[in-house]
Amino acid sequence: MHSFFLNQNTVLPNRIRYASAVLCLFVFLLVTSTKAQTVLTISGEVTKPLTLQAADIKAMPHTSVTGKDRDGKEHQYSGIPLVNLLKLAGATLGGELRGENLVKYAVVKAIDGYEVLFALPEIDPEYATRTILLADSVDGSPLPQGVGPYRVVVPGEKKPARWIREVKSIEIRFAK
Amino acid sequence: MRIVKFCLAIALMIALVSAWKQPDEPMPTGPYALQYPASFGGRFTIPANNPLTQEGVYLGRLLFYEPRLSKTNTISCGSCHQQNRAFTDGRALSIGVSGKPTSRNSMSLANLLWVRQFFWDGRAASLEDQVRVPLTHTDEMGMAPEEAAKALQQTGFYPALFRRVFGSDTITDARISKAIAQFERTLISANSRYDQYQQGHYTLTEAEQNGLHLFSSAPAPERGIRGGNCAHCHGGLKLVQELFHNNGLDQVAPDAGRQTITGLGLDHGRFRVPTLRNIALTAPYMHDGRLATLEAVIDHYSDHIQSSPSLSRELMADSDKPTGFHFTTKEKSDLLAFLPLLTDSSFVTNPQFSDPNNLKRTAVKPHHSTN
Repeated sequence: MHSFFLNQNTVLPNRIRYASAVLCLFVFLLVTSTKAQTVLTISGEVTKPLTLQAADIKAMPHTSVTGKDRDGKEHQYSGIPLVNLLKLAGATLGGELRGENLVKYAVVKAIDGYEVLFALPEIDPEYATRTILLADSVDGSPLPQGVGPYRVVVPGEKKPARWIREVKSIEIRFAK
Repeated sequence: MRIVKFCLAIALMIALVSAWKQPDEPMPTGPYALQYPASFGGRFTIPANNPLTQEGVYLGRLLFYEPRLSKTNTISCGSCHQQNRAFTDGRALSIGVSGKPTSRNSMSLANLLWVRQFFWDGRAASLEDQVRVPLTHTDEMGMAPEEAAKALQQTGFYPALFRRVFGSDTITDARISKAIAQFERTLISANSRYDQYQQGHYTLTEAEQNGLHLFSSAPAPERGIRGGNCAHCHGGLKLVQELFHNNGLDQVAPDAGRQTITGLGLDHGRFRVPTLRNIALTAPYMHDGRLATLEAVIDHYSDHIQSSPSLSRELMADSDKPTGFHFTTKEKSDLLAFLPLLTDSSFVTNPQFSDPNNLKRTAVKPHHSTN
């Protein structure tokens, strides 16, 4: 029998158990939130790999887009256009998006390991008619638990499977 | 001396004849051709410095079942990864050379070719790296670095085998890891009833059909659709996706899981979403083996999800659904009817993956040291 089994079997008033759980959680969150954590990395075929913290992203110019989420309802998302983040990292966009650079793609990874990819032209406004966003708020509120802190929003895409939640990293690669 | 050798030879012949199966004689050589269904896809990487060869897989299989790789000469990889249990050990936590339980449950070894991050927390980036951990962990095989290599170097037959695979007699932990990794890459399971059903060779019973529907469907109360949404995290044809989720076992996880690797608060209590291939054979369940049966697992997802800040979004309550799936008794029994279809009997009985017993001595001529 392990200690946590014992905890579950020990007769404790539920309130005490709940309070101690909340306290542990509070301490844990306090400990983890006081360290400045990297929240997003941009790496791969870029000239300036980036390691960003929440404050860096908050300070960047934000744009709003509307899009239909899985609930079928239109929402307003605010965040940073993906193209701006990739330009900051020195990815080949705009005038450089030609020739062999047309076989480059961005792999976006979530904290849980989920991954999706976008070809660079999908992200570049010289090609694409829609703005793909790295959103950090929806309808004026921060993204909820399990969705945020960052989520890719692809306006007009009929299926939201590439609206990847809990975004952790973006890697630019060449198709080889 | 001659008489001794003669007797040895006779004894070996008797051992061979009485063995369950004939060894590969002579030791097979050449590239190893992997066979897997096209539907599994080719998204895997075999390290350039460890190409898959028949001789490497052969050696890896010997090493996988080699108790000399443990401090007490009693524990091999195969002790905690038993083929008849889809390479698990039936314990909540494994017992190694120290007699103390390890901290996590032994994982099934199937279709590792497609896995990129090993262990419950995903800390190893290759099978080669993974192998070294149980080899040296004090509660698993308990060998100091290079101690396993020394032990094999002193045997009569291993140096010659290593020469065949790596081009020299020198045995190192790195080479041991490479050979075991090669064997593990061949452990492909693709012939369960579920696979046969996908290929149109098996017809589901009504209960199995209902179970599959619950397994595959996301619940949509507004449209009256019931579901367990298992496939969302556990994947489709391969029955695995490389995801790490907190599946609501605890409000505060006693084992921080992936957070210990990434340092991210949001990774607290997240663990690998394991493969469901052969799941009926791999009890007990969860990273700490706390749930003894599939019934208990289904009950957990139905009624016992614990909320916490890193709880998987798929298991969270939202405006139109409570936490957990709240299956009916019939839904539970339908799911329990479906899950055994994921058992691949040919995988757990494949002689290619079994313990080769003591046939190793016959693989190549005994190596005679010069001193």
